[in-house]
Amino acid sequence: MAALRLHDPQPTPWLAKAAVRILVIDDDASVTAAIQAILSRRQYEVVVASRAHAGIHAFRAAPFDAVLIDLFMPGMNGLDTIARIRSKSEVPIIAMSGFRLRNSLDPAQDFLGLARLRGATMSLRKPFSSLQLVAAIEHSLGPAPSGEGALQ
Amino acid sequence: MNEPREGHLDRQCWMVGADQVTSEIEVGRSSPERTRAANEVGSAIAHQLNGPLTALRLYLGEIRRNGAQFGDTTEAQDQMQQMVEAAFQETERVCAMLDAIADGFQEPLCPQSAVALGRDVIVWWSRSGAANADPQTPVSIHELLTPREREVLGQISQGFSNKQGAIRLQIGPRTFESHRARIMRKLRAKNGADLVRIVLGEKSVTA
Repeated sequence: MAALRLHDPQPTPWLAKAAVRILVIDDDASVTAAIQAILSRRQYEVVVASRAHAGIHAFRAAPFDAVLIDLFMPGMNGLDTIARIRSKSEVPIIAMSGFRLRNSLDPAQDFLGLARLRGATMSLRKPFSSLQLVAAIEHSLGPAPSGEGALQ
Repeated sequence: MNEPREGHLDRQCWMVGADQVTSEIEVGRSSPERTRAANEVGSAIAHQLNGPLTALRLYLGEIRRNGAQFGDTTEAQDQMQQMVEAAFQETERVCAMLDAIADGFQEPLCPQSAVALGRDVIVWWSRSGAANADPQTPVSIHELLTPREREVLGQISQGFSNKQGAIRLQIGPRTFESHRARIMRKLRAKNGADLVRIVLGEKSVTA
């Protein structure tokens, strides 16, 4: 992955040592393509699954450092998928959804809130910006092993 | 609409939503229902805009951040930069509008809007038990539970086990457990921890 370091304004040396693997589960190909483009430019290794089952399969096959998951997909929905992954692993899970139940901050009234109750560690409201995406990923991964601040 | 591709179920469902609106307007239902129907259509549109807009916002943000180096002359590059900036600002505006649209929905999700969003939402919705609920009425835990169930919940939230709680209330452990199960069902708690969360933020319960 180090060979792909093309244009990174703020190089994060600890990333180059071992590729940080991120699983993206979303049935919307335009979203996964964009996320993949943004994250692979930052030396993350991105694996995309367009269905929950494929995502769970990929997750079982090899470890990931973080999982990004859409809440509404054909087949198994994101909420159940989060619960499934959470029952097996402590991996950071970032839930993504643009759909909200109502104008409310009340967690039980909001799908992203429900996702958190099911075990998601963070949530991103679509449409999110590349800054928000990267911040969420870095925050989920926690402080860098080298002691360098991961957020910002 | 001529050839529905695989994975574009939502498009068909959006049409279902549209049909409902027309029929409701034709029948001349009451205006709150009409508003709700219009909201559902808006919600469906907003939902479908989310994916492409997310992608657009991500790409443009990245292009802007790195500075587009198109054009042979500095002037041409400056122009390009301005256009990227403008495109970025416009995208941000559309995102803000979408946000405002979504925020405008005061109505919580009901079965019809689930139809508009896709079959899978309905499956989830019906499985979650929320479909049977009247979404309009927020109810306090106090109203929802019987006095006995409130006593049982009190023991649980104080951290007592089923057995300890049963002894303290002088009832059988099986009775305690069945009360507990009923409480969890009523409050739609998935597990003990979930139950505690609901109790701590009492507002989040809707009957």
